[in-house]
Amino acid sequence: MSSPDAPDKKALLELRGVTKSFGGLRVIDHLDLHVDEGEIVSVIGPNGAGKTTLFNLITGVYTPDAGEILLGGESITGIAPHKITNKGIARTFQNLRLFLNMTVRENVMASQYGRTHATVFESILLLPRARREEKEIKARAEERLSFFGQRLMGYRWDQPAYSLSYANRRRLEIARAMATQPQILLLDEPAAGMNPAETHEITELIGEIRKDGYTILVIEHDMHVVEGISDRVVALDHGAKIAEGSFDAVATSEQVVEAYLGIKGAKEEADEGE
Amino acid sequence: MHYVPDLVTALFFPPWKNWSYFWDLTVSGLTRGSIYALIALGYSMVYGILKLLNFAHGDVYMIGAFLGWFMLHWLGGPADPFISGWFVVACMLLFAMVGCGVLGVGIERFAYRRLRDAPRIAPLISALGVSIILQSSAQILFGAGFRDYGTEELVGFNIHSIGDVFFSTVQLVTVLLAIALMIALTLYVARTRTGKAMRATSFDREAASMMGIDVDRVISVTFFIGSALAGAAGVMFGLVYGQIFNLMGFLAGLKGFTAAVIGGIGSIPGAMLGGIILGLAESYATGYLPQGSTFHDLYVFLLLIIVMIVRPSGLLGTPEIQKV
Amino acid sequence: MGQPPYEDPPDEGAGGPVGEPRVGVDSWVASHEGRRERSTGISGRIKAWWQRTPPAGRLLVFVIPAIIFPLVSNSGNIYRYGILTLIYALLAYGLTIVVGFAGLLDLGYIAFFGFGAYAYGYLASQHTGHHWHAELALPVVVVASAGLGIILGSPSLRLLGDYLAIVTLFFGQAFVIFVNNANRIDFPFFGQVDLTGGAQGLEGVDPLNFFGYKVSTNKGYFYVAVIMLVLIVAMLHLVNHSRTGRAWRALREDPLAAEVLSIPVNRLKILAFAFGAAVAGLIGCLYSSIQTLDAPGDYSVGLLITIYAIVILGGAGSLSGVIIAALIVNGVPELLRNPSNGRYVFYVGLLLVLWYFLKTWQRLLIVLGGTLVFGWVLYGISSVVWDRGTSGQPVVDPETGSNWLSTAISHWMLTPTDRTQIANWAFFGLVILIMIATLVRGWWQVLVLIPTVWIAAFAWENLLFTPDQINGPTRLLLLGTVLVVLMNARPQGLFGTRQVEIV
Repeated sequence: MSSPDAPDKKALLELRGVTKSFGGLRVIDHLDLHVDEGEIVSVIGPNGAGKTTLFNLITGVYTPDAGEILLGGESITGIAPHKITNKGIARTFQNLRLFLNMTVRENVMASQYGRTHATVFESILLLPRARREEKEIKARAEERLSFFGQRLMGYRWDQPAYSLSYANRRRLEIARAMATQPQILLLDEPAAGMNPAETHEITELIGEIRKDGYTILVIEHDMHVVEGISDRVVALDHGAKIAEGSFDAVATSEQVVEAYLGIKGAKEEADEGE
Repeated sequence: MHYVPDLVTALFFPPWKNWSYFWDLTVSGLTRGSIYALIALGYSMVYGILKLLNFAHGDVYMIGAFLGWFMLHWLGGPADPFISGWFVVACMLLFAMVGCGVLGVGIERFAYRRLRDAPRIAPLISALGVSIILQSSAQILFGAGFRDYGTEELVGFNIHSIGDVFFSTVQLVTVLLAIALMIALTLYVARTRTGKAMRATSFDREAASMMGIDVDRVISVTFFIGSALAGAAGVMFGLVYGQIFNLMGFLAGLKGFTAAVIGGIGSIPGAMLGGIILGLAESYATGYLPQGSTFHDLYVFLLLIIVMIVRPSGLLGTPEIQKV
Repeated sequence: MGQPPYEDPPDEGAGGPVGEPRVGVDSWVASHEGRRERSTGISGRIKAWWQRTPPAGRLLVFVIPAIIFPLVSNSGNIYRYGILTLIYALLAYGLTIVVGFAGLLDLGYIAFFGFGAYAYGYLASQHTGHHWHAELALPVVVVASAGLGIILGSPSLRLLGDYLAIVTLFFGQAFVIFVNNANRIDFPFFGQVDLTGGAQGLEGVDPLNFFGYKVSTNKGYFYVAVIMLVLIVAMLHLVNHSRTGRAWRALREDPLAAEVLSIPVNRLKILAFAFGAAVAGLIGCLYSSIQTLDAPGDYSVGLLITIYAIVILGGAGSLSGVIIAALIVNGVPELLRNPSNGRYVFYVGLLLVLWYFLKTWQRLLIVLGGTLVFGWVLYGISSVVWDRGTSGQPVVDPETGSNWLSTAISHWMLTPTDRTQIANWAFFGLVILIMIATLVRGWWQVLVLIPTVWIAAFAWENLLFTPDQINGPTRLLLLGTVLVVLMNARPQGLFGTRQVEIV
């Protein structure tokens, strides 16, 4: 992959003036954001800054009140989530949403629905296309699972997902998202709830994923992870971008420090009161 | 039976051609609607707190009607009661309400409590089971035939009128009693400690229990009140329509739930509004729509579908924001 | 919303359940092996053998006895035990698609069954004068049922689970009201049209007529039903392991995650609806041609509950469980109809239930002994002071007369003459005692159970088992009780695997 600062890079994902309110509370406020091909962009911000809402807007779970979201120059605003996924955006969830009663392999196979086309009648009659696709997605699922070394291999394949440990559940979510063959991968706090060793492993893993050619947008609270992976960091507060740039620049930005530590005190409270 | 116009005449038969017919329908719709509203309240309260469709609720209503009947006969029967007619009605109501309340608490304790954290489908199936148990028990104990309430002998059949609007005493009492019970319930939920605990529990059961609210007790109280209202509705039905039978709970429960959904499930004023709207709609459908007297239930079903499409959260319900 | 607590620590801290730590095996594997080792004995061996058998082999286990059954049985029994069981099982399979796979609570399912029956009746009966061949009528009805499923499913798309339940339940009721009255619909330009025969039912439905070969005997219909069963089970198995089946299960588990992972949730919900409706419609054709009559009363809530009981008892999603559950749910009440069989069924069932809940032989024996003594004491007292209590007779088979069990019962149980009122109170008392018995623990429970079992037997002999009740309400009462008890004791059904759900 080329370096993140190459000038000829075109924005893979672009948000223009995106706004979303819930009952009068503006959660995302005229946000402009772009993620270039091959880049890893981290979104940071205090709790309630609108980070997860941002992901929900991009993946179509919510429709923006105003503004536009473009993927590879094409508008994806207001499209159903599954269609957006088919266009090449995949995500994981902060609070883990695995298909718990399905096996590990089935979890990954299920997420390839949009990549296969055999109708239910073809499946019933075992027509060639259905059998071929079935073989393909099985192979792809196993390949994706092998990405995590031995952790999700062998006997694990046929275990139900609920039997996995927390860290393995996170890995499975990533594998499941990757199996949709996205252009851009949205990771919502991939290191949440992990111990230091696992966090380190996740950092390395994200590097690996990037080497495979994925563009990644990641929400993360762990600054070590952010520092380790990011090409660019975007800081959000109250739904607006307050800083953007390299990790060092953002981390030392006055506004970011204020947002996290609340030095502004009384003035900020007045702002919040709206 | 009302005169039922077919499609063609219906088009030329608007209310202003015959106001007294319109008012007849309105009065009967309001009476019906009050009964639906009382049933809907029980559904709505239980759903608000447990997110459970209590399919057995309609059958609790049926049991209420039978409890009222037994009280009536213990007091000497409609023709020759030991005490004056309206006092008998009060005793019937009280007995049915207390009996149904206890029944409701029992149902919750034995059929739903263990299933609070089970998969969503489990309590629903259990509720279906309770419903069928109540229905068949009623058939075993009371028989499958109709039982007469004998309203006319008990309290007479006086017709009053305000201008063009004619109504019987029983209809008036039904509507007034329903309104009174609803006001009492609203005050109870808004003012008392238990009422506040109920609201807290319906927002977040777990958080409420951590705040020191005895959730089991609150749920029991909810079931008691909801079932008692259904019991009252059962007795009123008996008084207004004169006859009760063991399968009357199913359709009434369905309508009560429809009313709760139309009004916005989980909302107490919504349940009342939904009940009245449903009652009126059914009554007007009976009177004005083609073959309404046979197919009024189908028209009600259509109304449910339309409300679900236009406003899935009901008239007074708040749309839920999907949490991700 | 959070995930349930996870069962194993991260892979590093592995150890076996039996004490000594084992390197490289985490606790899930270890405990799984432990479970497998535990399942020894007869039931364990059967289970292990069953899990090793390939799906086609499992199907054969059911099909071979089914093929033999009509050869050794008479026409009445083929109908009562064979065809009805198969129809129940087939309906339950259709419902499995909607409820078991896709997780949609469709309470209007029976209406599709009824629609299929009436549609076939419309296409092939003396009532309408059309006489379509089955090879033409069945596909048309199946497609029409699927279409109706799509029509009902579409407004339901936006509904969350519970609203869907109420809309579909209402739909089922609307269907019954419609067919009851659709014999005199007054269309604006056509005048009165008789679509369904009204409350009388649609009479004179043709037998299935495949290319001129008419199926006319119960034996023939039985084999048609078996063939349908094999085809549908095979279809379900294949669908379940296809992309569609996986997508259904995914949307059952978590619709939002499914949607975000490229699964078109709405389209799949409708597809599930349509599939369930199509299967129900097909079975409706079969049922209608067997009955030669479409009666509105056949498509009521009672049947809905029966089918749900079968799906739940079998374990939602378990294909082989459904057949066994259908045998139980249809077979047991059929056996109950006959007084001499029925009494065995009841007391054996009572024993099994007690054994399941008491868990130890010791307590079971105490309860049984106590009940017997309790009964004799009451009988003794009654014969001295209350003559009426022992003067009645237990219900017996009018043809074969009393057998040893009914004779024994008549010397143990009070069977008063003119018993309706006493029996009603006993029934009431039974309900109260059962409630108390579930609330108390330990030896108190054993103590309460003695009069409970006795009064259960009393209510059975004097009320539930009487000819008026046994065919209608008692059957439904037992079904309802089974549903409630099963949900509380074993929500995954008899043969299902336990599902984990985030609450």
